[in-house]
Amino acid sequence: MISEGIKQAFQLMFSFDPEIASVMLLTLQVSGTATVCSVALGVPFGVWLALKEFGGKQAFCGLLNFGMGLPPVVVGLFVSLCLWRYGPFGDWGLMYTPAAMIIAQTIIAAPIVAGLSFAAILSINPKLRLQLISLGATPWQASRLLIREARLGLMAAVIAGFGRVISEVGASMMVGGNLKGQTRVLTTATVMEVGKGNYDTAIATSVVLLLGAFTVVMLLTWLQHSGKNERT
Amino acid sequence: MMEVLSMQDVSVDRGGQHRILNIQTLLVRQGELVALVGPNGAGKSTLLQTVNLLQPYQGKLRLFGDEVGASNQNQLRRRSSMVFQEILLLTGSVFDNVAWPLSFRGISSREIEARVYKALADFGCDHLAQRPAKSLSGGESQRVCIARALVTEPELLLLDEPFASLDVAMRSAMMEEIRTVAQKRGITVLLVSHNFSDVLYFAERAVAIFEGKILQDDRPEILMRRPVDEKVARLVGMDNILPCTLEQEGEKRFVTLTEGIRFAYRGPIAATTSVFCCLPGDALTLCDGEEKDPADGRVVLECLIDRVLPGIGTNRVLVRLGNMILSVRLPRDCAPSQLQSGVRICLRFDPQEAHVV
Repeated sequence: MISEGIKQAFQLMFSFDPEIASVMLLTLQVSGTATVCSVALGVPFGVWLALKEFGGKQAFCGLLNFGMGLPPVVVGLFVSLCLWRYGPFGDWGLMYTPAAMIIAQTIIAAPIVAGLSFAAILSINPKLRLQLISLGATPWQASRLLIREARLGLMAAVIAGFGRVISEVGASMMVGGNLKGQTRVLTTATVMEVGKGNYDTAIATSVVLLLGAFTVVMLLTWLQHSGKNERT
Repeated sequence: MMEVLSMQDVSVDRGGQHRILNIQTLLVRQGELVALVGPNGAGKSTLLQTVNLLQPYQGKLRLFGDEVGASNQNQLRRRSSMVFQEILLLTGSVFDNVAWPLSFRGISSREIEARVYKALADFGCDHLAQRPAKSLSGGESQRVCIARALVTEPELLLLDEPFASLDVAMRSAMMEEIRTVAQKRGITVLLVSHNFSDVLYFAERAVAIFEGKILQDDRPEILMRRPVDEKVARLVGMDNILPCTLEQEGEKRFVTLTEGIRFAYRGPIAATTSVFCCLPGDALTLCDGEEKDPADGRVVLECLIDRVLPGIGTNRVLVRLGNMILSVRLPRDCAPSQLQSGVRICLRFDPQEAHVV
């Protein structure tokens, strides 16, 4: 059955099956957009948290670490309640749309990106910021260079965030509804095929998902290490 | 001479409670080479960071004649440069690292190139310009850090023990190069060190700091021979810090060391509870054993050689006087056959060389 599923996966990919192509495209669109949003929120927040000293910072960091392990179904439930017709944002009409899935996935991935960005900045010698400021950098110039210096760690945060959202199924199912041609992504399609007993198709969609995720992660890894050679 | 730094009642608190720096007054003028000395945790680096406006503080601080305020901090900071003990280079080439301070100031790329190569050439590392900064050795990295600090031609250079990780030959060469550049350009330098030999080599003024407070601010040789208290005496490596008692007899004061050695003392006495007599090792000289009570007021000691530690220029001889061990610095050509363990020798010193703290 496994070999049959793998064979079917390659057939689906190389025959450019329009249905699987649209599901693959939507998966990359939703997870890619959610990753970009979580990076836009998480990286500045993680960098700010690492560089700013304030009372209760430790408790704040504890909350962030807790956020890194948020259960997707809880996030899905929370976003559903907010976007449901009678919820506070029901008027926006986002329930069962890719936008709702992006919101849920961003909430799941942002704490991971922020937490790993925080760790990436903290891994740099704290005196480096003082050194840059003492050399005449404004706080903004110093922060920009620190981010550049921590880019290996920050790219790891991006990769981890992407890995979390592309593999996520609970929240996507709850807020997207797995509607064919609208909100069906590879993870929800796999769950559906398993539910229907089509294990070979489920294996095929899983293989397509794995290959898609592998390609994106390898691209991000190449970007992460593109400037590494100058270190040695 | 223009005033570069003026501090009045400047204090720094850690965690809002523990006071780590408390400077009543400190004035540094243009071109001065000042060393800040003190044990680890004394507040030397905090003082340097406060001067570089990297540390929140209370009190009155003036830099280059201007009162430091919220609006002019970056402008005043850009007239100085600081080098840390650790090597803090960014990923990128040596050229990029030295160019950053100029880029921060919005200087054109053509001028940056000329100034970076000149700064690197001043410290003999222009050949490293295209090397990745993280691939340099410790000595090369610290040279690049100093070139980077001087590329902006600062008026005040702050050195936070930048030579600590270098070997003796390298640190002497670097200190000499910085000293030459500073004197040539009239740069004021504040050097933090806990090594007093660095201070003697580099600075013309030494400030001893303990527990965030300035205990003594004078020429290095004064700190070395006339320390204000026992702590400064130990910091500068005073050879002999001997417990003693001080007695007043009429107009005269007498110092009595253990073993009944007594002599008239005319020097100043710091207001301390414990009394110690500081005696530099080179104040003790060999003398003829016949001369028990010399007319010139010198004190004669009969001692037994315990150990001879060879040195360049002088031998350090540890001698036993009763229960005390004295450290004596004798010229190498001084009666070599006599300088052996177990040999009795006669030493004398001028009481004016003694200093009571």
